[in-house]
Amino acid sequence: MFSSFTLLFMAALLSLALHRTMWLKPFAVGATLIALLLTYSGSSIGLSGFENSEAVRLFTMILEIVLVALILHEEEDMTITQTLFIGTASIALLQSHTLLTFIIAFEAVSIISFVLVSHIKTSAQAEGAVKMFIAGSIATGILLLGAALYLIGGGKLGAPIVLESTTLSTMGLFVMLLGLFYKLTIVPMHGWAADTYALVRHSHAAILTGVAKTVVAVSMFHLFAPFLAEHLTMTVPMMAVLAVVTMTMGNFLALFQKRIARILAYSSIAHAGYMLLAFAAVKSGYASTGLLYMAIAYIFMQSAVFLLLDILRKKYNIQTLDDIKGLAKQHKGLALFFTVQLFSLAGIPLLAGFLGKAVVFYAVVDAGLWYITLIALLNSALSVGYYAWIVKHLYFDALEGKKLQVGSSKVQMISQTILLAGTIFFGIFASWVFVAGNSF
Amino acid sequence: MSPLYLIFGPIVLSAFTALLGEKRGGTVRTVALVLFTAMLFYSLDLLSILPETGYMDLGTYLPVEQFNFALTLQVDHLSVIMLILTSLLLILVTLSSWTMKNATAYFSLLILFAGPITGVFMSTNLLWFFIFWELTLVPMYFLVGIWGAEGRIYAAVKFFLYTHVASMLILLAFFLIHKETGSFDMTVVKESMLASPVLIWWLLFTGFAVKMPIFPFHTWLPDAHVQAPAPISVLLAGVLLKMGAYAMIRMVVLMLPEQSENFAWVILTLGLITLFYAGFMALYETHLKKMVAYSSISHMGLVTVSIATLSYSGLSAALFEMIGHALIISPLFLIAGFLHHKTGSWQMEDMGGLMQKAPYLSALFVLAGLAALGLPGTMGFIGELTILISSIKAYGFWLIIVALASMIGAGYIIWTFRRVIYGEMSETVKNSNFKMNRVEFFALIIFSVLIIFFGLFPSSLFEVINAAFVSLAAQGGL
Repeated sequence: MFSSFTLLFMAALLSLALHRTMWLKPFAVGATLIALLLTYSGSSIGLSGFENSEAVRLFTMILEIVLVALILHEEEDMTITQTLFIGTASIALLQSHTLLTFIIAFEAVSIISFVLVSHIKTSAQAEGAVKMFIAGSIATGILLLGAALYLIGGGKLGAPIVLESTTLSTMGLFVMLLGLFYKLTIVPMHGWAADTYALVRHSHAAILTGVAKTVVAVSMFHLFAPFLAEHLTMTVPMMAVLAVVTMTMGNFLALFQKRIARILAYSSIAHAGYMLLAFAAVKSGYASTGLLYMAIAYIFMQSAVFLLLDILRKKYNIQTLDDIKGLAKQHKGLALFFTVQLFSLAGIPLLAGFLGKAVVFYAVVDAGLWYITLIALLNSALSVGYYAWIVKHLYFDALEGKKLQVGSSKVQMISQTILLAGTIFFGIFASWVFVAGNSF
Repeated sequence: MSPLYLIFGPIVLSAFTALLGEKRGGTVRTVALVLFTAMLFYSLDLLSILPETGYMDLGTYLPVEQFNFALTLQVDHLSVIMLILTSLLLILVTLSSWTMKNATAYFSLLILFAGPITGVFMSTNLLWFFIFWELTLVPMYFLVGIWGAEGRIYAAVKFFLYTHVASMLILLAFFLIHKETGSFDMTVVKESMLASPVLIWWLLFTGFAVKMPIFPFHTWLPDAHVQAPAPISVLLAGVLLKMGAYAMIRMVVLMLPEQSENFAWVILTLGLITLFYAGFMALYETHLKKMVAYSSISHMGLVTVSIATLSYSGLSAALFEMIGHALIISPLFLIAGFLHHKTGSWQMEDMGGLMQKAPYLSALFVLAGLAALGLPGTMGFIGELTILISSIKAYGFWLIIVALASMIGAGYIIWTFRRVIYGEMSETVKNSNFKMNRVEFFALIIFSVLIIFFGLFPSSLFEVINAAFVSLAAQGGL
């Protein structure tokens, strides 16, 4: 059966033949757009072990839109191919409905991301790549340990998770979650993330933080939510505590950073904490919508800010806060794109980031944990501190001496416009997400 | 015209005007002026077609049934009065910033501000109300941070963070309300349906108290008001603080009446503390604009005391004082900012003898100052008198102490006159040129005319104001 999965997979293979030609980018964009149409028409992989749902379908569409933006932005041929591969694996991961397919697709995403960051040009990039590789290996180990425990406990990998399970198999599933938390950068499994996100190429970091993380979160919810809802006594304290620790630590560490990439890396960790809140609130009917909304908002804004950093760094070698002083005076457009996405990350209304947070936080209130919401809200307010601080450098400070060279490619601006449109659209029009979120 | 245009129109429009070049500042200024005038006429038109009591429905948009989340637009007298005040002030702010530098960006931000502020007063859906409430912060952040004085960055960031934290409490309260009642519609939510109204009351009260501001949550205000450019101080004092007072009336007093009655003593006590504390601070200040800022806080204390009466007459008086405060404090801010611009100093001791050098400007300053201390014949007198009467009626004769605050007000205002307007001419004043742009001067004249007009004919305003709380009159208070 011809699905967006098959199409993207074939496109990725074919794209190898188009390297070093001018046709690669149009081809990749075209293939992704057709995949988008196929997803829209409701295509699913159609193999056993995979299952589509409204939420997954909507998120896959969003993913494909973001892939278009990522491909448009990219200037390296190899990365374009790998973006297509990541997209393929992500679709498989999103639709996985059994542990077996989940593990396979998860590993596929991981391995492709390892290959992605292995375009090493500097020692710093090497450090980031190696850290990610080691953390990823540990995550895989723990994931497989959990799967083994689940098997011993009488579970079956090839079937959907059974809700009435033995102690051992329950334990196995929670161990698996711990492994997945490495990818989600949940404290204390976050150590590698800040370095990797800040050190590897920013356009790669956009894929790692924006795409891979949200895909893992959504697919985890897709697969594990019924199980977690069944074991609330374990789920709620574990997830709530980890979420609170993660967001607080991410936000506090972000406050002290000088390099913009590191600020955004820690903000990414903080956002993992917000996403985890949806798991803590799993008994609320709003949790699924909350997670979906958060993921949609996050994939747009996080990819956008890292791609913008990529433009700034490549063209102007901008790395620290001091470097962007007065940028708005010279590059109105870039500064505006950056500001809107940062405000969205901060949770300023009429942008997707606000509604994403609002629905997750409401789900937590709905689950009866209002004090956790209070902590999360204060965290969100704290995070405004560093986002507004970046904006302060962009707009309030005077341009220091040097004039920055003008010029960012038109295609990259189109890519930013797509992401901006997503951030604004989902900040105003919420009904699609709510309809889809009810059938996860 | 759909009211939706008035909310989202300016937001979209501002994106376009911001793209115009720096040389088209005059065009953007004209666009802003036309827009704000249209807003004023639209709200005056609304006033004429409002039903006598209750809300007028302006439509529901963008519904999300699963979350009871829809942009429900409804207006009553209270909100229309706020809309008229806001659009009037926006016009006057535009006139007062006629010669502002970087005009394209500046007026684009003003246009951007007009959208959400309209939304705040029109939306009766709590979540959309919150969205607009938060969104007003963004243009303000830039307006203070870019066009402000020396300490603008500290002030802008502090203002943004401080009020944002407060907003988080409000959002939590709205979430709890939705959980208890299953609705975000403020016309539906009534306290009796709530299981834990005490927590909700405190969250809302604290959140709005920051914006008003009420002691001890006022510390962001002196920074923001002093560092902001003078017309933006007007916007902060005239619109943002009023937004806090409006929310306090609508969402604390009217939406949670029972708990408000239980905790009226909290509102009263904090209101009195604000009134006197800020008054003494103003007395102590030698920094001209800070003195005005503290005087502004002190007047908001008066509004708070009046709100604490929870009565028909008290709330009417509070609303009158809010309008009066907006019209009186604005020229003081504008003139203080202008003096700093011309003399380069904030300190009153550097000034003196201004009357000899700039008699018209001084006369306007004296007029606004006298109105601030409550001189009969001005709006200030009517506001303070009605508040005094209604609070004595509600809490007994001991509240005559409110009148004492008026005396403190007289103290700092008259002493300021002595130091700035009269006395010997200082070197700074002698060396400065106080020529004011005609349009900016014209804005000051309009303020003065309004102060005197409503001071002499308060009933014209009270007719409308009373209609805002007429539902309370029927019940004989709350």
